[in-house]
Amino acid sequence: MLSRVTQLRPSLSKLLFYPPSRFVSNTKSSGAAASSVVPELHHAAKPVEHGEVSPYVKNPDYHGFSSDPVVDEWNMRIAFFFGISVALVIGGTFIHYLPDHGMRQWARREAERLILQREKAGLPLIEENYYDPNTILQPTAEES
Amino acid sequence: MLKILIPTTMLILATWLTPPKWLWPSSLLNSLLIALTSLLWLKNASETGWTFLNPYLATDPLSTPLLILSCWLLPLMILASQNHTSHEPINRQRMYITLLASLQFFLILAFSATEMIMFYVMFEATLIPTLILITRWGNQAERLNAGTYFLFYTLAGSLPLLIALLLLQNSNGSLSLLMLPHLGQLELTSYADKIWWAGCILAFLVKMPLYGVHLWLPKAHVEAPIAGSMVLAAVLLKLGGYGMMRILVTLDPLTKELSYPFIVLALWGVIMTGSICMRQTDLKSLIAYSSVSHMGLVVGGILIQTPWGFTGALILMIAHGLTSSALFCLANTSYERTHSRTMLLARGMQMILPLMAAWWFIASLANLALPPLPNLMGELMIITSLFNWSPWTIGLTGLGTLITAGYSLYMFLMTQRGPAPSHLLALEPSHTREHLLIALHLLPLILIITKPELIWGWTA
Repeated sequence: MLSRVTQLRPSLSKLLFYPPSRFVSNTKSSGAAASSVVPELHHAAKPVEHGEVSPYVKNPDYHGFSSDPVVDEWNMRIAFFFGISVALVIGGTFIHYLPDHGMRQWARREAERLILQREKAGLPLIEENYYDPNTILQPTAEES
Repeated sequence: MLKILIPTTMLILATWLTPPKWLWPSSLLNSLLIALTSLLWLKNASETGWTFLNPYLATDPLSTPLLILSCWLLPLMILASQNHTSHEPINRQRMYITLLASLQFFLILAFSATEMIMFYVMFEATLIPTLILITRWGNQAERLNAGTYFLFYTLAGSLPLLIALLLLQNSNGSLSLLMLPHLGQLELTSYADKIWWAGCILAFLVKMPLYGVHLWLPKAHVEAPIAGSMVLAAVLLKLGGYGMMRILVTLDPLTKELSYPFIVLALWGVIMTGSICMRQTDLKSLIAYSSVSHMGLVVGGILIQTPWGFTGALILMIAHGLTSSALFCLANTSYERTHSRTMLLARGMQMILPLMAAWWFIASLANLALPPLPNLMGELMIITSLFNWSPWTIGLTGLGTLITAGYSLYMFLMTQRGPAPSHLLALEPSHTREHLLIALHLLPLILIITKPELIWGWTA
């Protein structure tokens, strides 16, 4: 097992060792003859990206967020976590447990409970004289 | 209120201070958290209607759904525009997000204003970011023309409103939305009062848009970048409906007689714009005309002035906001691949992007108001209240829904079914981002119907 790890060493060291981006000679040039080879001090300008170049060449796991693979993946994670898990799930839970505005749900439950109770007892769902007739002041025949 | 407004302002600041690499993820995160926080507005503990009350801003059951919709739209707009703006210089990307965030800021102030003049100012202020979005980020040269139409139609419509509001302030002494419903009926008898009525309502009818003053809308939608189309269809049109519901309270005795021509125009518009959709070749234009058609129903529902009409109008506004925004996103995914809005050039997409075809199917069904979705609930309530007002309207509304189903299926069949044309060979596969974007439109739509009292408005 350990020998396998040691076998990886040369490739590992290659991976871990980042060479500088360019090598420029520090020795003085003789000045006798200009070198015909101009050392490349500036990188060539990056080709302008356009839609026809497939982003999947650079990043096979492209999610459509960014051309940088790291940003792409993190952006995807942020979008899914905060869009689905936080906004929809936590937000949905919050909405589900909102207080019963105006006690409408309670009224419905109470009504259903009362209906069952009165049906079992064989009573009409609502009394014919829901309000006590004695408490209602009606106009007399002359007044109306 | 400030717990949303301050983070929105900070979002603009963060846009300019974030390193370029993390610009889009951080603004997305920020805006999603704002959207989550905005759900707190739903906690309506009082029985008075108005909550989160301060001297200038408040919410009530009518404005809360629209406020949350505008907060929810910002992350979706950011998700949608990530791809097509990513090739621009970083400062322009920052400017783009700044415009979107400022639009949200103005929209929140407009929907939560307690003063009609404050509402008016914010109503006008939303024009500026939208105009810049259309004329700066549109795809073709025609965007300038579309911007002119957009600006001048809405401005010309709303200037009479300013005069009418000032007159109302002069005679009434207050424009507070908390006061207006309790002031009692105004004595509106003269001919000038009728003109005043028209001035009050015209701005909103242009913004809705009513058939006849709708020409700016298809142009603006077609030329706007995806975020512009989304916010126009989802929220800006609803400003008109919201304003109309607010102002109608004060116009009471006149509306009953004077609204006839407008109801007729709205219902006729449902049929006419629906028929225009059947003949469209341009995908975005089709979706734009379908918005006009749906908004015609909303105008009808509002002008009827019954509780069912108002409730149906609000439900349809919210449902249509999510549906049409989703359709615009879908149109944009095919536009980003084929670089064309012409439906003839992008047929048979089901063979190429099968999962996208599933989203198209659900979105088309939502557009034609399939049973479990709130779209149907809204349409039914409006149609019922219109029928109650006059049985003859069932002919217009019935034919309208038939045509709606027709053009929704036409759009789906034309873009998705059939053999793929031979010039569409190397299309990019659909991205995770696009699927998430559509899911974030359609999931809330499906979830809302499990608790529809959130979007019932005043009756809840």
